[in-house]
Amino acid sequence: MTQAAAFPKKRATPFTPVVVKHAERSLSNQSYIPEIIRGVGESMRHFFRNTKEMWKNDRPDPVTQRLDKGITTISYPEQKRPYPERFRGLHRLMARDDGSPRCVACLCCSTACPAQCIFIEAGEYPEGDKRRGYERFPVRFVIDELRCIFCGFCVEACPCDAIRMDTGVHATPYDSRDQFIYDKGLLMSFAGRDGSHKTENPRHEPGEKTHPGIDRERSH
Amino acid sequence: MPTFKLDGKEIPFETGDTIIAAAARVGIEIPHYCWHPGLSIAANCRMCLIEVMPSATQRSPLLDILEWDATLQDYRTVRKPKLQPACQMAATEGAEIQSNASENVAVARKAVQEFLLLNHPVDCPICDQSGECKLQDYWLEYGRFKKRMGDEPVHKPKAVVFGPTIVYDAERCVMCTRCIRFMDEVAHDPVLEMRERGNHNEICVADGHALTGHYTFMTEHVCPVGALTTKDFRFKARVWFLRTAKSICQGCATGCNSYLDYDPRYNRAYRHRPRDNEQVNKYWMCDEGMLSYRRIHEDRVSEPRLQGKTVSASAALQAIKQAFAGVSPNSVAVVFSAQHSLEDNWALRELAKTLLGTTSFYVSGLPDGYEDKILIHRDKNPNREGVAALARDAKSFADLVTDIRAGRATHVIALGGEAPLDHHDGEPAFEKLQAMVTIAAHDGPLTRAATVVLPATTWAEASGTYVNAKGIRQVADKALEPIGGAAPAWTQIAHVARSLGLNPQWGELKQIRTRLSSEVPAQTATSSTQTES
Repeated sequence: MTQAAAFPKKRATPFTPVVVKHAERSLSNQSYIPEIIRGVGESMRHFFRNTKEMWKNDRPDPVTQRLDKGITTISYPEQKRPYPERFRGLHRLMARDDGSPRCVACLCCSTACPAQCIFIEAGEYPEGDKRRGYERFPVRFVIDELRCIFCGFCVEACPCDAIRMDTGVHATPYDSRDQFIYDKGLLMSFAGRDGSHKTENPRHEPGEKTHPGIDRERSH
Repeated sequence: MPTFKLDGKEIPFETGDTIIAAAARVGIEIPHYCWHPGLSIAANCRMCLIEVMPSATQRSPLLDILEWDATLQDYRTVRKPKLQPACQMAATEGAEIQSNASENVAVARKAVQEFLLLNHPVDCPICDQSGECKLQDYWLEYGRFKKRMGDEPVHKPKAVVFGPTIVYDAERCVMCTRCIRFMDEVAHDPVLEMRERGNHNEICVADGHALTGHYTFMTEHVCPVGALTTKDFRFKARVWFLRTAKSICQGCATGCNSYLDYDPRYNRAYRHRPRDNEQVNKYWMCDEGMLSYRRIHEDRVSEPRLQGKTVSASAALQAIKQAFAGVSPNSVAVVFSAQHSLEDNWALRELAKTLLGTTSFYVSGLPDGYEDKILIHRDKNPNREGVAALARDAKSFADLVTDIRAGRATHVIALGGEAPLDHHDGEPAFEKLQAMVTIAAHDGPLTRAATVVLPATTWAEASGTYVNAKGIRQVADKALEPIGGAAPAWTQIAHVARSLGLNPQWGELKQIRTRLSSEVPAQTATSSTQTES
């Protein structure tokens, strides 16, 4: 008896038409019993195979070996699919070498934000600080992650590379709304995907050796 | 009226007009940095260059100019007509001027713009002028070039404190000298000057002096770029988040026309700046006036009070009803406020005269203060003339105190918390009163003395009309939403009238305005075009 293939190996094209054969009206087909046994058997085969693999700890990686005939589901959250390199995850605020935020509170990100989820209160550095009068800094920097639509406009708008979405963490579920309000301290504590706070694009402050060109200390 | 042609359009002018001034009068802007209609002509920014077309009998004055030729890969000499600064060029009958239409002018504007931006730090994200900066506007309109200079720009002093209110950034400065000219010509306090030349050019304060006085904020306001910033507005807000309402300064009886910039998201005012009105304040405002927006949020009465405790509006009105039950109209004193608008005072007069039947009127307000010959008026109330027009026989606040002491007034209905008293000392005479109702926006001696206080809106939270010392009637538009239980004083007065079992005949601002225009003498009003300018 030839079975009608639901998913034929060769796809039907105008040049190689595939004739779909209908199942015969026989007792075994009409009663469904052999097919039920076959179906349960297939499930059990997967069950025992997965259990054996988990037991022996040689489970194939569902992401890299997704074409393998075996398992196609993953045990989230123990297992996670790796996100693409440029995945836009939760925000983080970048810090300078001295630990202060890179952000100068220019409000470009909150201007660009279509969801209006960024709140910044600008302030001036205290008396005696080298940056006082030149720059401002965010006294408060709050992102409402529940309102955020993860479009990445804030990252594009930032002139200082102070806000990034490269944490590789997607929006986390919480049990109350106020937990989605991320403040400056929390945003600065997040590391990049590699787990470090280092950046390929460090700041070059005036007065440092790496600062390009002349500055107030070194003139022509 | 003689005319000249600007880009083919006939522009009328008066004898002595410059081209830029005549064009500005009909609403055509020739780009400029250093020219200001209220200041002398400096003609140093060169942004307003225009081409004067030669007449039939004349030859155009030509200059030899080196122009880069991309095909030759070298400079070559070309002859171009000499351009003139529109701010200095006197308009002459029948002259033909080209501004936007001229190719040469477009090249010159772009070159001037590139020159001004040569050493500019381009720190727009942290600059407070960003969003209302002429450098940004003109770059978009006439520039659109990329920076060609590869060298590090010349660095100059930043964050120089000029005085208690102003901070200067020499790197952003285009040396238009507007601030210097303002201090010389308008404030008559020539403390600003220029030093060095070329790239090192900067504005500085005269040795041993600071930028102080009553007109320091104006130097920031006339600055077309972000060089001068006020400590008050610095780092506080981005201008593109602010909305603007046409307002009237409440600082004194001059009644300067102003713009009130506020953030609708936080219902907060951030800035007060002058609005041009040739009749009243020209282009200027004083520091006290520009800072007076702060008063909107200070010492506010936000909820009804009974004996100093916050109560519901119905409880407050019930208390008024009980206090005024069976009181003879002769013992009720009505106190108008020179701080409140014409509408508020009109409603109070309507309540007193028509509904209650009392005629003992008094005026309160802030005491007199500093005055000068430029803008600042001795009378610190915006609407004393308006109250005078409404109630000619109103007596002074001192008379009220005398009458209370003498027992001629036992009940008082007052508008406004301010009184010509020390702000913290109450007036012992008020303790003799049986009941006092105060409808006020701000806490003051009269709210502290009151039995019942009803919260009113400030001038920024409701539209109102004010009559300044010259008798010019001007309208301040509503900007912010009222806080708490505050409502316009004329609404609160209507509530009081209803609680006393009376039937007030006004429910909308429009009705009051119609009644006002027929009642208040015409000589106090000017035509709307003069106040709308």
